[in-house]
Amino acid sequence: MTTQTHNSLQLAIDGFTPQSAEPAWLSELRQDAADSFAALDVPTIRHEDWRYTNLKPLLALKLAAAAPARITPDDLKPWLIEGADEIRLVFVNGFYDSTLSRIPALPQGVLIAPISQLLGEEEGLPSKLARYADHHAQPFTALNTALFTDGAYIRAGQNAVLETPVHVLYVSTGGQINAPRTLVLAGEHAGLRLVESFVGLSGDVRFVNTVSEVMLAAGANVRHAKLLRDTAATHIGWNEVRQDRDSTYTHHSISLDAQLARHNVNVMLAGEGATCTLNGLVLGNDTQHIDNHLIMDHMRPRCTSNQLYRSVVDGKSHSVFSGKVIVRPGAAGTDAKQQNNNLLLSDDARAETKPQLEIYCDEVKCAHGATSGQLDPDAVFFLRSRGLDTRQARNLLTYAFANDVVEHIKMDAVRQHLEEVMHERFHGLLGE
Amino acid sequence: MSKPLLEIKDLHVAIDGTEILHGIDLTINAGEVHAIMGTNGSGKSTLTKAIAGHPDYTVTSGDIVYEGKSILEAEPEDRACAGIFLAFQYPVEIPGVSNMYFLRAALNAQRKARGEAEASGAEFLALIKEKAKLMDIDAGLLNRSVNEGFSGGEKKRNEILQLAVLAPTLAVLDETDSGLDIDALKTVATGVNSLRSPERSFLLVTHYQRLLNHIQPDFVHVLLDGRIAKSGGKELALELEDKGYAWLEQTV
Repeated sequence: MTTQTHNSLQLAIDGFTPQSAEPAWLSELRQDAADSFAALDVPTIRHEDWRYTNLKPLLALKLAAAAPARITPDDLKPWLIEGADEIRLVFVNGFYDSTLSRIPALPQGVLIAPISQLLGEEEGLPSKLARYADHHAQPFTALNTALFTDGAYIRAGQNAVLETPVHVLYVSTGGQINAPRTLVLAGEHAGLRLVESFVGLSGDVRFVNTVSEVMLAAGANVRHAKLLRDTAATHIGWNEVRQDRDSTYTHHSISLDAQLARHNVNVMLAGEGATCTLNGLVLGNDTQHIDNHLIMDHMRPRCTSNQLYRSVVDGKSHSVFSGKVIVRPGAAGTDAKQQNNNLLLSDDARAETKPQLEIYCDEVKCAHGATSGQLDPDAVFFLRSRGLDTRQARNLLTYAFANDVVEHIKMDAVRQHLEEVMHERFHGLLGE
Repeated sequence: MSKPLLEIKDLHVAIDGTEILHGIDLTINAGEVHAIMGTNGSGKSTLTKAIAGHPDYTVTSGDIVYEGKSILEAEPEDRACAGIFLAFQYPVEIPGVSNMYFLRAALNAQRKARGEAEASGAEFLALIKEKAKLMDIDAGLLNRSVNEGFSGGEKKRNEILQLAVLAPTLAVLDETDSGLDIDALKTVATGVNSLRSPERSFLLVTHYQRLLNHIQPDFVHVLLDGRIAKSGGKELALELEDKGYAWLEQTV
């Protein structure tokens, strides 16, 4: 029962051929995903989870198949993060670029490589890839699974700790459909830091369909930032996280630019005592549309989750926050917090917020709150009375609102980089 | 002590169409300290907001002349850059902006507007250290968000810190003493007294005479129902403390 024809997306699957011969397990996985995609509906706004995000324009796009392209170090420069580029993997249109990537000697137990180089049996990918990203349920996960060209594989084995952040840059250059894939495995008591940057080098309208799977074994700690900086992209991303006992996962989703973006973050708190923090920032302008859709699933007792999402919408931009906290039967001692704040800078900007709690257990602590509003006129006057003009005062207050999310990022290089980006966007208040 | 810095002439001010001030005349010369006393609702805060240029306060007639020029058309930031400073009765909290960052942004905005060189990091740091010490403000408070989670006393001291850093020509203090315990009051008074100079004038707005034990004014004015009911020297404050505001209401 197809309510919208798949159009360009189905065509992309029909026309897909891998760059090189693939092992049987992967061909089978792709076929299974392709079949799922054909059977699943691309959601319309009648679908509750997609009420505020209309995909009709996406289906009408003329998209070329993903193709490798050469880019120069100068092309890459604006997207590098000083202090977080010692280890980096660069994928252009979803294809690994070994000349722009850097993988230095790594601590024992740590492996960082493009997925394409690990398709043999030794890394056990057949049992790891697509384990938690369910292509039978989600059409865009199915699409990515059928089409993904390559992506980053990051693994830290038991007790292995990599303090240096890994920067994965997914660069799009043209009007294509790009399907990169990330797989992160943190073993028992392992530690990893990861930044995914999705960037665009041209104004060609494109579709970036991404899936990241992050698995944390007992006691593992993963810090993960996702930076979206592609003004021409329709970006639909699925970030699937599974946490085992006492693990800690921190995710920062920073949407600086996109034409239309939908970030899905699904977290399974599948082990007792796990801790998860999801923070997000949306800076929307023009007609940008950014949708954050979170599911925090407290499956086991005594897990802690914390969500803070903020959006700043200007022009005719539109932000959506939908966050669901599920507390399963038996998940006693759950402590879940959720906060969404929206700052509207113009009369035509819109922000939707939909916090939801589904609690099937007593003895839990759940708090959620949402606010939407404009800049406080008293604060604007206060700053003006100190000599800042109206524009500076508004910029400073907007910066402050947004920085409340950024300052939580415990990867110094990433935080400093984002502070600089925001300074620039809000007109360098210190004049430096 | 004879050059007028601020001349308020037959000032009428309204909020949302309701007139609050019904004709205020007040002249403050360079170096003078004036105190305005009055009960709640007498129009004290309205006067300070009108001087600072708050957009919600409309001057319906009269004039405010600063350094010989009318400032009625000047934006709040232009008044600030010209050297007018308002210490707020209820300082605003600004989560996400550190006190240091804010102070430097303000100082440099003012310097830039006056065509002066902006303060370098080192210059600013030296300045802020000196002034923070004066106001008994520790480094922790400087690095925290502006006024967020500050106690009442800390907020008021922070206002005086801004005054010290920005070094205005005219400082208007709106009930800076209210809600302060005696130690905090003394700190604030010490700060203000150290900033007194022949070029700098103060307008202290207060409900209580207490503040004036620590900051000696040259003149005291009593505001009653939007008008100045009585003006005099510092002894007027004592008389008022003794007899209460009702005494004036009967004599007017």
